[in-house]
Amino acid sequence: MQEILWMAVVRVTTREGAKLQIKALPAVPLMEFLRDGSAGVEGICGGELSCGTCHVYIDSGGDPLPPRSEAEQAMLEAIAEFVEVRPSSRLSCQVFVGESTTDLAVTVGPVA
Amino acid sequence: MTSNPPLKDLKADINLQQLLEAKSLERCPFPIPSGWFFVDYSENLKPGEVRNITLFDQEWVLFRTEGGEAGVTDPYCPHLGAHMGHGGKVVGENLRCPFHHWEYDTAGWCQNIPYGKVAPPITKKQAVLRALPTQERYGLIWSWYHPACEEPSWELPAIPAMEDAGWGGDRRGSWTANTAIQEIAENGVDFAHLKFLHGAAGIPPAVVDFEAHVISIDMAGGYIVGKGYGPGLNVFEFTQEGASATMISYTQPITGDKSQMNMSFRARAYPEGSKQQHVAKKIIDHMIGAAEGEESAGFESVDFVVWNNKKYRPKPLLCDGDGPILQFRKWFRQFYIADPKLLEKV
Repeated sequence: MQEILWMAVVRVTTREGAKLQIKALPAVPLMEFLRDGSAGVEGICGGELSCGTCHVYIDSGGDPLPPRSEAEQAMLEAIAEFVEVRPSSRLSCQVFVGESTTDLAVTVGPVA
Repeated sequence: MTSNPPLKDLKADINLQQLLEAKSLERCPFPIPSGWFFVDYSENLKPGEVRNITLFDQEWVLFRTEGGEAGVTDPYCPHLGAHMGHGGKVVGENLRCPFHHWEYDTAGWCQNIPYGKVAPPITKKQAVLRALPTQERYGLIWSWYHPACEEPSWELPAIPAMEDAGWGGDRRGSWTANTAIQEIAENGVDFAHLKFLHGAAGIPPAVVDFEAHVISIDMAGGYIVGKGYGPGLNVFEFTQEGASATMISYTQPITGDKSQMNMSFRARAYPEGSKQQHVAKKIIDHMIGAAEGEESAGFESVDFVVWNNKKYRPKPLLCDGDGPILQFRKWFRQFYIADPKLLEKV
């Protein structure tokens, strides 16, 4: 039997400061694992970049994450009116773990 | 003893295609053409009114804002798909969806989401609801239809008979034809049918000119002179015995095989009781088909039976004496934006 999927363990700090370890698979946006893993991420729009509710700060690892797309940038700018957006801010619906992702740690970001 | 010749011999003798097409031919193989089309009479749409209409083979919501602007949009809210023509309301300059009160202006831009703190960024960048470019001219509401939402490539013309002082007439007509708009328009260059279907005295000589989106026709040495602007607007002036009357026709593609023909009839404001006034009225009566003692039949009594039952022959068998049918079709093809495979049948 060879049924072991590649998997990453992401270290997550919730808004309340709790530390979680959440397993993530490739090809599925990190947002879904955070949402389904009760990390406090809503991910309302399902990855359409229209709600800004899956905001995270990348604490470490995760490179090489692709740069923000224009649409992700626009959504982050829209929430920046209400919350602190940092250079490390990403929308987790745009973050995918891969085999080269090591030691990814994120903090769930504030939302508007 | 005789027997049928084998099929391959028949094929060598005649074009079998011509004989066997009856079932494969279609009545209306056309897409909806692009262009400016009549939507409704301006007077029929009051501020605050919301109405569902079928045009261009789909449903639309027609509304007029409190400020008086007419809008024609997709019915389904971009948010969660509610039909805004069922329970939607005009609020100020916007159409408001009944479901969550998202609001859209006549250009389809989302102007209000009453609860979200952060509007989706796309709403700041573009219209999110399909809205047809819409304007009011000649007392009529017009929308520009393009299947890929491209902006208008030409403007509606000035029509003195509808817009200028010194003209009058409020007669109108509206008829439903069970065929595509191209088939109706094609009769405009089919001069031979005027003699045989309508019973005119002869086949009128005619000069036709095609340029860009405009077709110009001069029939019977100035008796009928006019232009077609795209597929949805024709203006023809009929002159007789020193008086003239103008027919403005604006047919709507309701679906691929149903068209609504609409016409306004106007004439110069000739002196009350003058011969010219009488002649102009007679011309209009004839156009509508209400004239008595006419030598030829108005379109109403004879064209529909043909339109409603014919099939479209992409390769018609034409003879000398037919009008510029193929030139017309080539001109009309510019209004179709569709898969080349589909256009082969057109």
